[in-house]
Amino acid sequence: MSAVAGRAVAAAEVGHEVDLDLSGAWLVDPGSGREGPADIVVRDGRIETITWLDATDASGIDDIGVVVTPGFIDLHAHLREPGNEAAETIASGLAAAAHGGFTTVCAMPNSTPPIDRAAMVDAARAAAAASGSPVRLFQVGAVTAGRAGEQLAVLGELADAGVVGFSDDGSPVQRAELFRNALAYAGMLGLPVIDHPEDLTQTSGAEANDGLVATVLGLRGWPASAEAGAVARDLEILAEVAREVPVARLHLTHLSTAASIDLVRRAKAAGLPVTCDVTPHHLALTDEWLAGARRWAWEALDDAGLPRDPWRDGVLEADPYDSALRVNPPLRSAVDAGACLVGLLDGTVDAIATDHAPHTQVDKDVEFGAARPGIAGIETALGLILQAVDAGLLPLARAIEALTRGPARVLGTAAPLTGLVEGEPADLVIFDRGARWTVVPDALRTRGWGSPLLGRSLPGPVLLTVAGGRLAYEASEPA
Amino acid sequence: MNTVVTAPGAVASDSADSVARPPAWPHRHLLDVDVLSRAQVELVMDTAAAMAEIVAKRRPRSDALRGTGVTNLFYEASTRTRVSFEVAARHLSADVVNVSVSGSSIEKGESLLDTMRTLESLGARVLVIRHAVSGAPYLVAREFGGSVVNAGDGRHAHPTQALLDLYTLRRHIPGGSLQGRKVVILGDVLHSRVARSNLWTLTAAGADIWVCGPSTLLRGFEAWAAAGVGGDGRFTVTSDVDAALRDADAVMALRLQQERMAAGLLPSLHEYAARYGLTRERLALAHEGCLVLHPGPMNEGVEIAPDVAAGRRSLIREQVANGVAVRMAVLALVTSAASRADA
Repeated sequence: MSAVAGRAVAAAEVGHEVDLDLSGAWLVDPGSGREGPADIVVRDGRIETITWLDATDASGIDDIGVVVTPGFIDLHAHLREPGNEAAETIASGLAAAAHGGFTTVCAMPNSTPPIDRAAMVDAARAAAAASGSPVRLFQVGAVTAGRAGEQLAVLGELADAGVVGFSDDGSPVQRAELFRNALAYAGMLGLPVIDHPEDLTQTSGAEANDGLVATVLGLRGWPASAEAGAVARDLEILAEVAREVPVARLHLTHLSTAASIDLVRRAKAAGLPVTCDVTPHHLALTDEWLAGARRWAWEALDDAGLPRDPWRDGVLEADPYDSALRVNPPLRSAVDAGACLVGLLDGTVDAIATDHAPHTQVDKDVEFGAARPGIAGIETALGLILQAVDAGLLPLARAIEALTRGPARVLGTAAPLTGLVEGEPADLVIFDRGARWTVVPDALRTRGWGSPLLGRSLPGPVLLTVAGGRLAYEASEPA
Repeated sequence: MNTVVTAPGAVASDSADSVARPPAWPHRHLLDVDVLSRAQVELVMDTAAAMAEIVAKRRPRSDALRGTGVTNLFYEASTRTRVSFEVAARHLSADVVNVSVSGSSIEKGESLLDTMRTLESLGARVLVIRHAVSGAPYLVAREFGGSVVNAGDGRHAHPTQALLDLYTLRRHIPGGSLQGRKVVILGDVLHSRVARSNLWTLTAAGADIWVCGPSTLLRGFEAWAAAGVGGDGRFTVTSDVDAALRDADAVMALRLQQERMAAGLLPSLHEYAARYGLTRERLALAHEGCLVLHPGPMNEGVEIAPDVAAGRRSLIREQVANGVAVRMAVLALVTSAASRADA
């Protein structure tokens, strides 16, 4: 029995049903659209009562204390099993997810071999069950056989096996005609195609966002148009497909540029069935981190809304070329990051997804241009987002919505948001908005090597994660 | 010229009376020139001048690096830079080891850090590294116990080249100062670490820098010029070679590589030579005494005409000679910082 800020837990081990008595916590529930102080009682893993407190009862309770929200849903993670278990396993990935407050994880299919057959979906599910973690594993299936981009994978077989969508993530579906057919066929099955928009003809060998930082550091430029051009292609094709297959759905993942966000905004206004996500690192970090700057994206804009010059500002505090920052798509300019944030605020962006991409030290602790792209960020996602909340740029409720109800909508019926509904199994995360934690290797559950945030402090340590009524993560000691 | 001692016994001085204590050199590594203060650049220049006096002797020898292991780790083919570092280190009595790696560390199967650790175990105290990936020396410097000297990384930096270019220019520019002098960097700027490093040192020296080449090889530099580089110097980017060369005090032609055609950056070598080659006719637009530099190796007849390369105002051979003195200075300075750090 432990008690933190009015919390009482009676569950010792991960995987066991939770009893919980929370009084006077700040509850953010995008399911009901409410936010405020509440008492919550959980018995045998089920929400027994939620009692919203009125203002007179709630003296001194606000959203900078202990916050309770539905468990987060990550639309985009790489768990590396099978094939690269040194970087991550389903078990270590789900443990990392729980530490980050996520109770549902959509695993991308670019393992080795890729998940392009029903039997592999079953194997992943079995590995998740064997892990003992109550965090739900949702599998995304490959769009094309072997992720080779040549012909459709067995989409129907994969759908029957329970995948939640189709993606060749890591690569785009380059052949436009095949992409068109995938949208139509997946639509028929009631599932979205999740595209990683990248015009590979512009990004061969590219290392960093095309811009001042890449020029000065001598890194090969990765233009914004390589993403926006692919987004434009996808949307034009979607418009045509949707006329014949109205149930067709496109989800664009890890958008990183102002132009992409703008294209999606206009497509949504035109009624196209498109959704999209952005990552925490593309919201909070910028390409100037490659040069050694360590300020947040919103601190790197001048009064005219243009990116500041980190050399002129004298803010280069870390060594340049930290390969932990090599990621696809690359960290962009402060203007792009700002556009992602605006998209999140105005609803253009449906979800925040982590693109958790762990790699081994062998693949990562090398020359910047030789490092595998990817940031293992599922455990630092909440902290980065709360950093934007603390800066006054993002309402807490909207941030939580983009981690819960937003992705739930993208997933449709697969992920009903019932974690804070009386009578239903509790599915929630509790974090301390008033505290901070330091990102050090020992604090992380992922097997992935390195994080660009190592040594930095982030707000909102997760105290408890409950998935499907069962304990997924509990902080070893009160933060 | 003052003889400057950079560390106890660093430079053999003819007369003990001429020894002056220089400001301490703080950089254990030399990875880029952008971190050098004006005073530090001056210290390199002064030290190089002192080293040049040693080089000029019949049997050049200083004991500054006696017993110090200097390893040249070159992941890219290089003759002049590697030999220059080797000669510089030998003049300082260092124990020199040369390691040439064909292909990248990845192809070789050993990581750069493992290679570094091996060389460190074999006695390397100074690692001179040339690598095709921008930023690679920073990775090595993070873990290496001694000093890392960047001998060229990808497109990023070639600090000793920029310092020897500055040294060479200052010895020949009338008045010895680059303040307000128009210096043109001509050619494949996009891929050039020489251009990037020179931008920092020359603008810091107050020069009026013009960067010129076909637009495809200037990608990103317009934004850099708009942002500025700091220092007093001006920084202009243009594809108009006549405007760039008009009244120039010095012009530095850059090597053009064959691969640029395959990458779709240029139609043909011939077209490049016709439009951007540094010919005698073009050079006539510049000041009469316009100095000509080239970091080498040259494609004569492409980026520079043979008669210009061998012309009266060409400093290309002197660049090579000065490279030894400047590299001696850099080796002495970084090891002086390393020995202080150990103390």
